[in-house]
Amino acid sequence: MNDDWLRTFAAELHHRRVAADAARHVVAEAATHLRDSGGDPWAVFGPPQQYAGAIVESIGTAPGPRPGPVRLHARGITKRYGRQTVLRDATLTVRAGQIAAVVGANGCGKSTFLRICAGLISPDAGEVTVSGRLGYCPQAGGTADFLLADEHFVLVGAGQGVARGPARRAGRAAARQLGWEAGGNVQARHLSGGTRQKLNLTMSTLSEPDVLLLDEPYQGFDQGTYVNFWDQLSRLRDAGTAIVVVTHLLNQLDRVDTVLDLTPAQPAGWTAGGRP
Amino acid sequence: MNQLVTVAEMTLRELLRRRGVLLLLLLMPLTFYLIRRDGYLGQSVRSLLLGVGWAVSTAALFATTAARELEPRLRLAGYRPHHLYLGRMLGLWTVGLVVSVPFFLLPLSDGADLRYGGLAAAMLCSVGVAAPFGMLIGTLLPRELEGTLLLLTVVTVQMLIDPAGSGAKLTPFWSSREIATWAVDHTDEGYLTRGVLHGFVVTALLVLGVATVASVRLRRRRHLRHLPVG
Repeated sequence: MNDDWLRTFAAELHHRRVAADAARHVVAEAATHLRDSGGDPWAVFGPPQQYAGAIVESIGTAPGPRPGPVRLHARGITKRYGRQTVLRDATLTVRAGQIAAVVGANGCGKSTFLRICAGLISPDAGEVTVSGRLGYCPQAGGTADFLLADEHFVLVGAGQGVARGPARRAGRAAARQLGWEAGGNVQARHLSGGTRQKLNLTMSTLSEPDVLLLDEPYQGFDQGTYVNFWDQLSRLRDAGTAIVVVTHLLNQLDRVDTVLDLTPAQPAGWTAGGRP
Repeated sequence: MNQLVTVAEMTLRELLRRRGVLLLLLLMPLTFYLIRRDGYLGQSVRSLLLGVGWAVSTAALFATTAARELEPRLRLAGYRPHHLYLGRMLGLWTVGLVVSVPFFLLPLSDGADLRYGGLAAAMLCSVGVAAPFGMLIGTLLPRELEGTLLLLTVVTVQMLIDPAGSGAKLTPFWSSREIATWAVDHTDEGYLTRGVLHGFVVTALLVLGVATVASVRLRRRRHLRHLPVG
């Protein structure tokens, strides 16, 4: 019960744009208080929304994001596989410091859209403009079974001309943000599914991309890592990264700035478009 | 250059950790050699070379297939296509050369009357051809099973075809067979010249093939326009 309350409270703080570090600190303090007193959070603090409001009044909020320049503009993306049209005229614009969610039912072309944005496959129509460096995290795969995590960091770092030591350190630091100590002597094939996805995600952020494309990267994450993941996205957004995340978990949509729903509106002849 | 070396190094690391697969692959040249050892030495050495070619090309196939999902993201991380396929090839050639050493020493330890320079040249041809050959199959066929079956077919054809026939020259490992004949049967220099020439041409064509397929697969797509950060 405490966990549910704390989770709602943390989400509410984020929603009200309390700075990530301050929010984490406040939530930790509340958790400690509840653990020590053994009290019911609803009795001790009241509804999480109300308590979050009181916190905001007390410590203020982080400055609101200023809309940055457009980093990703996908226009009129259409893709067919044989006779089946999986994407029709999909459009999305993401600015620096924004998170966009791509949502929709299974098979509606979310991953295809992201792969087109990453330039991994070609659309039948439409174009994508990207300003700056691209990072991409696939839904699964994308790692080398017989390499260690450190070796993955070295491999990705070398692409940008980063020396081994700094690449290793940067990778471990990014992994730590997800609650994972990546320095072990374990090959990727021996990592659990969730840890492997942390490696996957860490690799995509290692090159400090201006546009980060994430295809349901949280597969196998436990609750704590999932919270860390969204916290890290918030940090990246605050640092000016434009983020596109494919998701089917609609409960996190209050944490994003733009939603592209690719669910067909009608059995035939539907159009997808972004909504602010 | 750093990118090339890093990809080569990681290919080496990956392959050396696939110890079970490597051991099984090495069994083939060894059994090929041992099975004809008491009979005709020439056949035994030629089989050994074919076995080395099979082992290295299969390792190349596995390495290429395993990297299929990783390469597009490495491309996004700043690698050019030639860093990826040449780096991998360098790693595979290195593994091939290391693997060849004990097989080079095997006839030597048997005290066989061979032209050992020729045997070394044949080994080099076998390894030189095998790495890009396995990589080409790996880039064209996405699954290991299909690739392995195709490799098996090629090796079987290579083994059964009449080496004097014109069709034999179209098989990838004809060069090592020709040089091996020079080394084992002490034939005229023509065998060596033809073999070396064939080895160079086939290796060049295979590298070109890998380069073409990899460059197409990892190309910058026309729909994607990159702008500098403004």
